[in-house]
Amino acid sequence: MDWSLVTMAERSARRSSSTMQEIEAFYAAMLPRMEAVLGYLADVSADDEAPENLRLLDLTKSLAEVAPAVELFFEPTISYGYDVSRFATDPE
Amino acid sequence: MAEAISPYKAAKRFHYAYPEMGTGPVPIEPYISPEYFELERERVFKKVWLYACRVEQLRNAGDFLVIELSVCDTSVVLVRDANGDLRAFHNMCAHRGNKIAYDLSGNIASFTCRFHGWTYSLGGELTFVPDEDNYFDIDKGCLGLTPVHVDEWEGFVFVNVDPEPRETLTEYLGELGSGLHGYPFGELSGKVHRFETVVNANWKLVKDAFQEVCHTPYQHRRSLPDAYQNSDNPHTRLIDMAVVGHHGRASLFGNMAHVPSPVAAHAYAHGSTIVSAALGPEGSPETDPPGVNPTGSPDWSFELQVFFPSFFLAVARGSYFAHQFLPLGVDKTLWQSMICYPEPTTLAERFSQEYSRVMFRDIMCEDGRQLEETQSMLKSGAKQHFQLKDEELLVRQGLYEVDRMITASNTTGGLVSDA
Repeated sequence: MDWSLVTMAERSARRSSSTMQEIEAFYAAMLPRMEAVLGYLADVSADDEAPENLRLLDLTKSLAEVAPAVELFFEPTISYGYDVSRFATDPE
Repeated sequence: MAEAISPYKAAKRFHYAYPEMGTGPVPIEPYISPEYFELERERVFKKVWLYACRVEQLRNAGDFLVIELSVCDTSVVLVRDANGDLRAFHNMCAHRGNKIAYDLSGNIASFTCRFHGWTYSLGGELTFVPDEDNYFDIDKGCLGLTPVHVDEWEGFVFVNVDPEPRETLTEYLGELGSGLHGYPFGELSGKVHRFETVVNANWKLVKDAFQEVCHTPYQHRRSLPDAYQNSDNPHTRLIDMAVVGHHGRASLFGNMAHVPSPVAAHAYAHGSTIVSAALGPEGSPETDPPGVNPTGSPDWSFELQVFFPSFFLAVARGSYFAHQFLPLGVDKTLWQSMICYPEPTTLAERFSQEYSRVMFRDIMCEDGRQLEETQSMLKSGAKQHFQLKDEELLVRQGLYEVDRMITASNTTGGLVSDA
């Protein structure tokens, strides 16, 4: 499953429609690599447009999206909360 | 020497400074009454300065933004004119009343009404009327776009639809506004992520959820298990709180021993996040503007300002966020939020900002459900009042200020509804 998703709306929809097993599998694959990935991305300009760098950035953004599910809520969506899809946000 | 009592162990520190507001239960009626809502529309929202946008959204000549202010029965076009000045107008053609801007934003050389082609300059002057000699006594000089008062504070653009505002923006914001002078709003608006939703709750109920933080150990038990509380301060009590003119402010406690989750730690290592401010921010009391951490507390995490009627700022070191809650009806509110950072310089920083953005949104998801559940009960008649604790002073103050503005002369003290 490709978690390299360009917009928050897509990443949020992916989190909401995934099982906890799928989310945890992505989290477990990304977390150990983050030290190296961020070390690399810290040397790449914020407006770099190289596709491979943007793909890597989008993967880290997807980790940011699912991290609360794994680390704080222990479920894909905040089942006792507001429907996240009701929050319109800017693309990216 | 006796050990100092932790300030967070002393109860009822704030209300008694404001005896005119009382300490009793507050009525539910203002949250559900259509009649009260119409009074709020005419005597509050059409008379005050309302936040419209950031200056960065109107950088260049011709940049425009439309703000729908249904609570003021209007739509306002904001535009950077050819001289570089900020202008605001009611979005209404002088011919037969159509909106002259349908798009919500863009860059334009002039405004042309889609109905019959009447054209206005960026300064609002009527410059062209097609088939002009078929009209009777048109004086173009008197038929420009009707201006709306607009002014700017620290890069925040405000409008006031009152044709003769009682106070200038500076006067309106008062000491709460001037106390923030020096806070780096411009630098920290380099990157802004916005959220917007329509929530089925009265605007005051939405506002109340954000002007106290004692709900944190309960409503945010999962998202914020310990960033804003510890054994000394288990109830997330405030460092300090005050009413300042029409407005209110609070200094928020942060748990400096908070340990971030694994992904949060990566985010903190590569940028500023609003929650990372609880870990012990850089900077010091000597460099803070007077309105930021006014007591110079080492436990300070961020400063909340509630600008009446419903514009919120929460400023930390390295990031700030803002909310505005605009009524759409007695039980419907346009909830707009933004989280703001410096312009990122690396892709790692963009990851960090995204993490903060996700947390900001998820925390608001925890706040949002309560609003609609609560509003759905308010007309039941089961209860007629809310009971407010000391830390909920700003909830009381907000109701009091609305009531004060609605009531021509309030000589009884306390809320009119208590009389």
